Amino acid sequence: MARMAAVPERHESFREERRLAALNFPLVMTGTLRYRRPAHLEKLTETPQPESLVVEGDRVELTLGNEPTQILDLARAPELRVLVDAVRAPLSGDLAALRRSFAVRATGTPDAWVLELQPLEPRAARFLRAVRLAGSGTNVRETLLLQANGDVHHMLTRPLP
Amino acid sequence: MLAALAAAALLLAAVLLLAVRVRTDMAEFLPRGETEAARLVLREARAGAATGLILVGIEGAPPADLARISRAMAEALPATGLFSLVIGGEAALPEAEGAALFARRYLLSPASTAEAFTEPALRADLEALLRQLGSSMAPLAVQFGLADPPGAFLAMLRGWAGSSSVRVVEGAWFAAGQDRALLLARSRAGGMDIPAQEAATAAIQAAFLAASPGPARLLVAGPAVFARDAARAIRGDVERIALLSTGLVALLLWWRFRSALVLAAIAVPVVLSIAAAALVVQLGYGALHGVALGFGITMLGVSLDYPVLMIGHRKAGEPAMATRARIGPAFVLAVITATLGLAAMVFSGFPGLSQLGVFSAAGLAAAALATWWLLPRLVVAAELAPVSAGNPAWLAPVEGLRRWRLLGLLPVLAAALYLAARGGPDWEGDLQSLSPVPAASRALDAELRAQLGAPEVTQLLVIQGADAEAVLRRQEELWPVLERLRAAGALAGAELAARLLPSIATQEARRAALPAPGELARRLAAAGAGLPFRPDAFAPFLQAVAASRDLPPLRPENLAGTPLGARLEPLLFQREGRWHGPVALRGVHDAAAIRAALDGREGVVYVDMRQELGGILARYTAQAWHWLGWTGLLVLAVLAAGLRDAGRVVRVLGSVVAALLVAVAVLTLAGARLSLLHLVALQLVAGIGLDYGLFFSRPLLDAEERARTLRTLVTCNAMTLLTFGLLAACQTPLLRDIGWTVAIGAVLAMGFGFLFAGERPAPRGAGQRR
Repeated sequence: MARMAAVPERHESFREERRLAALNFPLVMTGTLRYRRPAHLEKLTETPQPESLVVEGDRVELTLGNEPTQILDLARAPELRVLVDAVRAPLSGDLAALRRSFAVRATGTPDAWVLELQPLEPRAARFLRAVRLAGSGTNVRETLLLQANGDVHHMLTRPLP
Repeated sequence: MLAALAAAALLLAAVLLLAVRVRTDMAEFLPRGETEAARLVLREARAGAATGLILVGIEGAPPADLARISRAMAEALPATGLFSLVIGGEAALPEAEGAALFARRYLLSPASTAEAFTEPALRADLEALLRQLGSSMAPLAVQFGLADPPGAFLAMLRGWAGSSSVRVVEGAWFAAGQDRALLLARSRAGGMDIPAQEAATAAIQAAFLAASPGPARLLVAGPAVFARDAARAIRGDVERIALLSTGLVALLLWWRFRSALVLAAIAVPVVLSIAAAALVVQLGYGALHGVALGFGITMLGVSLDYPVLMIGHRKAGEPAMATRARIGPAFVLAVITATLGLAAMVFSGFPGLSQLGVFSAAGLAAAALATWWLLPRLVVAAELAPVSAGNPAWLAPVEGLRRWRLLGLLPVLAAALYLAARGGPDWEGDLQSLSPVPAASRALDAELRAQLGAPEVTQLLVIQGADAEAVLRRQEELWPVLERLRAAGALAGAELAARLLPSIATQEARRAALPAPGELARRLAAAGAGLPFRPDAFAPFLQAVAASRDLPPLRPENLAGTPLGARLEPLLFQREGRWHGPVALRGVHDAAAIRAALDGREGVVYVDMRQELGGILARYTAQAWHWLGWTGLLVLAVLAAGLRDAGRVVRVLGSVVAALLVAVAVLTLAGARLSLLHLVALQLVAGIGLDYGLFFSRPLLDAEERARTLRTLVTCNAMTLLTFGLLAACQTPLLRDIGWTVAIGAVLAMGFGFLFAGERPAPRGAGQRR
């Protein structure tokens, strides 16, 4: 974790697959991720529909296609917050912050590690069952979000030059 | 015997003052209002549910700590049972209530229309939902969208969110752009139940301290807190002044008379007068307003004059009764004219002022009666020695000043010219100036209200009906009108009951518009053709619509005891057999447009409280001039009948008018805006001036008596200055105004009384011959 904290900025491409209980087939999204310490996260989706999600602290700016930007407060949307925390806290290397919200289990070697998170708060647990992050060194390769209702978000990331 | 009597008088006064109920709310002080709507609003402002509102701010610590304190308070306060509502964050809607309201979304939501369930509308909803599922909104879309594709619940929540601009930090409300946590509480007791409010604010304080606040500060505001603060400020002021001025006046009298017994004798009429005045007001009005009490205590400075005049004028070797007989005519006239002037306030029709009038007139009369009947006997019984007049040699040069008394007309002329040139003094049009609430508390209230989005209760529509349903239907008819006005910029927003809870008729209409389960399933399937939704994805939606077709409408009484019910409470209530639904308007920019749009609507009245109260104030101020005029005439008649000497009448009245004129000019020059209370204070100045004038103008006095009079009046003047000068240092704005006015007026009355009312000394120092 401490080595993660040493990376001030990350820029990655992603491919996300969503298997939702409500839909017949998975939704696939691609785009780029940008992270800057300590709390700035940008997710720019390119396909199938352009979207920009910028998180700075608790403030979320969400722009869907050409629609006007919506500003959300993470504290007002606990469901979103737990998702953001699950992705952002490991990148920041802040194990203490992670442990406040999740039960954390780390396995593997520095070159092939797995971090499993389970939300501690009952309200969050009713929504999010578990998060599984896998990577090597300071890079996260794979993020898997398992929701309580059976929805699965699976994201693969590759560093960009 | 004297000491015993003084002690008895004090005891009596203490018992009476303890028995008297002191009130401090301004509503009590105000007239009942011009229109029925204004009367309703004033009544609600006095005792309605909105008066229990307490706005809480927490600041001065890192945000995380503020949020923690706020959450702890929001958790602890409802347990005290003192509050009908405590909100400070997301937990506002308990899960059970949230679920119950979610189940009724198709009856309560403005988005639940017949069109919303048609195939094209559903198709658009499903397409939008699919886009959301592929976006970062997916978690919310899964949670709410599948069970509610038309978005009825979210539309309902938006309607309830109101105008609040709060943001949420770690589950607690925060002011926009400031590290200040906010909470909203409403006490169960009415705002004017001061002991209950003390308990409620004490509970807030205790909950704050129990949350280990560290360096954080607690801010509280709201009508209930105002009432408490005003009560405290007035009590504090009155106690401080009573103590300080009693001490200082006692020192002065000691220096003058050098006798504890004389002090005790003087105290008897004064203490009796305050007790009598408080008792008379209590009997007449059922309670004594704090302002009347504060003002009344300062009457010390005036009613003290009577015993001092009596004792100060006693010659060596003279029986007490003889002194009384000697100064009797001037004394009786002074008492009658001063009491008349103050009694005129009783008929002003302004509840607060008539209380002041009764208090001061009763106090003056009681002090005068006690001085007249009791004091000479006390003097005899206690064998008080007359006060030495001293060597009157110093008198001649002082009285010599009167040779230039025409010069004294210069400031009077200057004052008259100054006032005439600027078109008279400035008048206070804002009723708030009469409020005993310190300006800082009012500013804090306005700030917290703006941050919480709680409406100010100054602009509102009063909507009435035979029952709650009638009021809600009227509001629903009104809503499109208000929306148009809002779009046109005439107002920024409105909070009304029908936005929280639709009428039964509306709920029934929405229910009737819901399609039958089979029909809805068919339309939904058709709308979803070609989209990747699983067949059972919308089961919760279909179930909810089917269940809604059998749900009874939600009525106001069903919400009792819930947070939504607590929000509804001040917006929909029954008073005297009729139902009322006040609509608080925010950010009114164009009152004329609002009036025009609402013109002719039955059961809807637009009330601008500021204007309403300002109008009341203007009308009473105008009336005040009338009664001042009549009082002046009456006093003139009494003086003419009592003095039977045109020259003396002119000299006495002239000195009083001069003092009033210059006092008004000085106040205006200092930037004061004259209010009704200034007028009252000027009445008091007139009474004091008449005292001085009448005593200075007594004819055919030898030098020794003139010296005695001058010394006694200077003593009286110093006492007035001591008491009213202290009043000028009060926290309560209106006591401060009275203090300044009387202090300035009393000095001027002394000066002009001495110059104009007294006789010009005979040439060659005739006064020294004896």
